[in-house]
Amino acid sequence: MIYLAGRVIRQTLNDKRSVMMILVAPLLILTLISFLLGDSDYVPVVGIVKNTAPSSLIAALEEQELNTIDVTNNEARHAKSYLKEHNKVDAVLTLSQDAGMSLTLYEPSTKSTKAASEIQSAMASLNPSAQINSSYVYGSQNQSTFDSLGYVFLALFAFFLVFIISGIALVKERSGGTLERLLMTPIKRAEVILGYTIGYGVFAVVQAILMVLYSMFVLQLDSAGNIGWVLLTMVLLAMTAVSFGATISIFASSELQVVQMIPFTIIPQVFFSGLIPLDLIPYHLGNLSYIMPIYYGAASIKGVMVYGHGFFDIWGHLAGLVVYACFLYLVNTQALKKFRRL
Amino acid sequence: MDIHVSHVNKSFDRKLIINDITFTIPSGEICCLLGPSGSGKTTLIRLMIGAIAADQGTIHFENTQMPSIEMLKKIGFMPQHNALYDDLSAEANLKFFGGLHRLGKHRLERRIEDVLEMVELTEHRSRLVKKFSNGMKKRLSLAAAILHSPSVLFLDEPTVGIDPVLRRKVWEQFQAFKRAGTTIIVSTHVMDEVNECDRAALIYNGSLIEYDALPALLEKTENGRVEELFFMASSKKEGDLK
Repeated sequence: MIYLAGRVIRQTLNDKRSVMMILVAPLLILTLISFLLGDSDYVPVVGIVKNTAPSSLIAALEEQELNTIDVTNNEARHAKSYLKEHNKVDAVLTLSQDAGMSLTLYEPSTKSTKAASEIQSAMASLNPSAQINSSYVYGSQNQSTFDSLGYVFLALFAFFLVFIISGIALVKERSGGTLERLLMTPIKRAEVILGYTIGYGVFAVVQAILMVLYSMFVLQLDSAGNIGWVLLTMVLLAMTAVSFGATISIFASSELQVVQMIPFTIIPQVFFSGLIPLDLIPYHLGNLSYIMPIYYGAASIKGVMVYGHGFFDIWGHLAGLVVYACFLYLVNTQALKKFRRL
Repeated sequence: MDIHVSHVNKSFDRKLIINDITFTIPSGEICCLLGPSGSGKTTLIRLMIGAIAADQGTIHFENTQMPSIEMLKKIGFMPQHNALYDDLSAEANLKFFGGLHRLGKHRLERRIEDVLEMVELTEHRSRLVKKFSNGMKKRLSLAAAILHSPSVLFLDEPTVGIDPVLRRKVWEQFQAFKRAGTTIIVSTHVMDEVNECDRAALIYNGSLIEYDALPALLEKTENGRVEELFFMASSKKEGDLK
């Protein structure tokens, strides 16, 4: 038994990826989770018609961790339109004789929760029995977590499953010697990568259609926009995943090593995919999302499903995916030089 | 076509694996790369077919310097490990490799019939390769290597792990290819197999210790067995070290 334990320890220590996975990966993931679930120092911005609001309310709001800005009566009446046009404002608080106090928020998110909570605290100090009617520009209070975050999972699984299959298949191709054998034919390196992308792309299309239709018609996930754009995004995302898997497989010599890289390559992307508003991530780390393909996919799917966006609103994200896939395609074609110079 | 290997060196992680090897293989002959395991035979084959780059030296097939995509059309390669797709049938494997050589539908179908018959796997053509025995996989691997009728055939340890009867058949097959004009380079650590070859390159610790036609090689030994040349090389090395 002691020999077995000794062998396992020596073997693991000799495998740098295993050591990284055991020691570094949990710290990285815990840090990301603390960003996600920890206290945020985000200060929400709330619009209010200051000249008609009671001064005690303004004073109570200013004592909370929020910034107030003055809006006109007209802007407050059309709070939803105002919020759509002013990204920096999280909520608009309006008071009227008939409707009482109403709070219009952009969408169910960490920022909205914080804004609502600070306003509730301010109201509790003035009138604990006051009722605030909340509504959202996009989404509703009755939405389940799946309804509000379903788009993230669509993007995530479209990417992850194809990445795993293509990454492992390429490593297997290398370790089994078939890659060397096929490169000893007149096929061009670019054709090898393209062949892989098309081959797995077919499965990616089928998977994307299946996931979207199942989510919509069985799991009742709503989409404000045309699901054709969701499908297109998922297919592009899955194509990028094939190339991403191929790139990762360059650095892995076994199937296990592909799996060992998941905590460093896939899990961070989950946190930058839209689960947390990117400007809440400290030290401007939210900008890292621009180098993560899942971000482009999730942002595009969110645009269509949540905001009802069309092609002209999401084309930037789709272009991001295309550029990413092309870049990885070139990297992979160059990487094959390791196995054949021409 | 003649193959010229000229002053080729190759190191991995600063360890010299191929040390200044020079020799010429005449067209239409069977040349044996003979040496113990780890002597550098597979590396030399991979250098010759252009899978890896030499640190120094050149390899020419006739007048064409390797690597060359054009030349890959004329080369057949049977790797040491079978390098087949286990989840595909024998026929699907052959269709795939034949397709990469751009054989064309009708020629490919004809060649698949021919090579399956040649390696006696016609009746197993639809079976998945994962259900094949090691000997059957070897034969299928050979079939994939000769599918496009190459003029030069590289065979890396083709008889490892197969029984003597099959080994006999495989060598008969190689002789038949030779009669058809194919140049064959075959690596082996089985000393007896040198008798099947026209000439042999004896490789020891990455160096070419002898290279000649078989009769001339055997003349250099006292008992007519090539092992003796390896013993002599190993004794000389020990002497040099002392």
